[in-house]
Amino acid sequence: MPPNGAYQPWRHRFAALTAASTLVLIYMGGLVTTTGSGLAVPDWPLSYGMLMPPMVGGVRYEHGHRMAASAVGLLTLVLAIWTARSEPRRGVRNLAWIALAAVVAQGLLGGLTVLFLLPTPVSVAHACLAQTFLCLTIALTYATSREWTAAAPQSDTAGLRGAAALATGIVFIQLLLGALMRHLGAGLAIPDFPLSLGRVVPPLDTAAVAVHFAHRLGALLVLGSVAWLFVRARRSRDARFRPLAALALGLAVIQIGLGALTVLSEKAVVPTTSHVAVGAAILGLCFFLALRARRLLHPHRVVLVGLASATAGGA
Amino acid sequence: MIIRKCLAAVAVCALAAACGGGEAPNATAPAAEPASTAGAAAGATGTASLAGKVSFDGTAPAPDKVKLNADPKCAAMHKEGLERAVIHVKDGGLADVLVYVKSGISGTYPPPAEPALLDQKGCDYTPHMLAMRAGQPLKIRNSDDTLHNIHPRPTVNAEFNIGQPRQGMESTKQFDKPEVMIPVGCDVHPWMRAYISVLAHPFYAVSNEDGTFEIKGLPAGEYEIEAYHGKLKSQTQKISVKDGEAAKLSFAFKG
Repeated sequence: MPPNGAYQPWRHRFAALTAASTLVLIYMGGLVTTTGSGLAVPDWPLSYGMLMPPMVGGVRYEHGHRMAASAVGLLTLVLAIWTARSEPRRGVRNLAWIALAAVVAQGLLGGLTVLFLLPTPVSVAHACLAQTFLCLTIALTYATSREWTAAAPQSDTAGLRGAAALATGIVFIQLLLGALMRHLGAGLAIPDFPLSLGRVVPPLDTAAVAVHFAHRLGALLVLGSVAWLFVRARRSRDARFRPLAALALGLAVIQIGLGALTVLSEKAVVPTTSHVAVGAAILGLCFFLALRARRLLHPHRVVLVGLASATAGGA
Repeated sequence: MIIRKCLAAVAVCALAAACGGGEAPNATAPAAEPASTAGAAAGATGTASLAGKVSFDGTAPAPDKVKLNADPKCAAMHKEGLERAVIHVKDGGLADVLVYVKSGISGTYPPPAEPALLDQKGCDYTPHMLAMRAGQPLKIRNSDDTLHNIHPRPTVNAEFNIGQPRQGMESTKQFDKPEVMIPVGCDVHPWMRAYISVLAHPFYAVSNEDGTFEIKGLPAGEYEIEAYHGKLKSQTQKISVKDGEAAKLSFAFKG
């Protein structure tokens, strides 16, 4: 068995299904918060003492989210066991177990948010771990891909490794800020757009305004870092990076529009929840590009040929 | 390498959780001023009364038309739809206004054993403004053939959130500290809204449909009276009453 493992297409597809399901789950989780349904089911792990309560009102969103989470948990369990039984690379086996631990932790955090009436730190951790888990599933998907197993690294002349890693880090921090803003109830702390309380820089005299404004600044940083990634991808002329980097940039622009719409619509359900999901999608894309760059490209080394030859000839 | 990156992300999450900020802001309902408990002296009652009317000048906003599609059982109970008026005005009188003695009362008043009742009927709360005593049992009943959760958001008292999935279910809770205008809602049916006010003494009333109210048994003294509506800025007035006096006091809210 080659050290990278033979390509196992069905396990790879199953990992991809888990990743895609996670993105849907993140949207459904966003819907719970946006509709104010986080406490529509007061008990956990049962729902009104039942496995399946009447799906009415806010219960549809909250219990629906629990059902989807259970499905993703089951997919992750199957993937972890399947990987343990058939994956020759210890790192990938460990990654699958870490993903399983993360989804279990995520379920526990969800239960804690309900039982302790949505404490902000737990809600923020629940949101943050959701994004991290998405990245774990993307990593498992890519690590089991044909591309990964057949990789022949080339020189990273365009600096894609650094650009993708930077964009991923900035997007992750922006998502963290967004979760903090949302669960502090600061989503409308600045109710106007594009100005902030009628100014370019609003008075930062409350935590809510400060966090909200930081998220708006973060949006510009995200746009800049993703645009830089796109520039680097264009320079590389590598078809494995350019279209996805373009997509990430397009989504970043759309995301800013959705953020504006969230504020101007006073947090209408569709734009607000879409804003959550698109944020996760941008993170997933940037993270995938970072992994891909890491796998397919090695750091570019400038070799001074003349000096090397002269040194060799003179010896 | 991938594992290290993922573990780093998990560590960032844990750090974010630790720095995740304080509690989400609760409703800004103020705590009612507690009756003085100096020496735990028993509070006095008297023979004065305070009656009046809370009026509303101007045009009350049109009621909201609430869509009940989210719960077919609620929709069946309101075939014409549910109109939710947050400002109820009848014959110039404003309903559901808490009128209470904000200051001037001293001594302690044992709470009654009989519970106050908050009912969920027709996918709405009855009453919309419930006034009760600190330490008095609060009975919450589900009279609907659908599930509700009852979620008050106090700032001084302990918050709770309980489910009542079946018709006829009753739960008993208690608020131990005085606090006015605790918002109560149902997260399943977001249009359901009520307020619970918890007082340390028995000198309070909730205005009727026509805005009238009466507070009985006041001892002689000087008092500050507050009128509090869920959607309008509260008002206070000072009044002095003598034993046996039937004092009059009115409040006028403007739209």
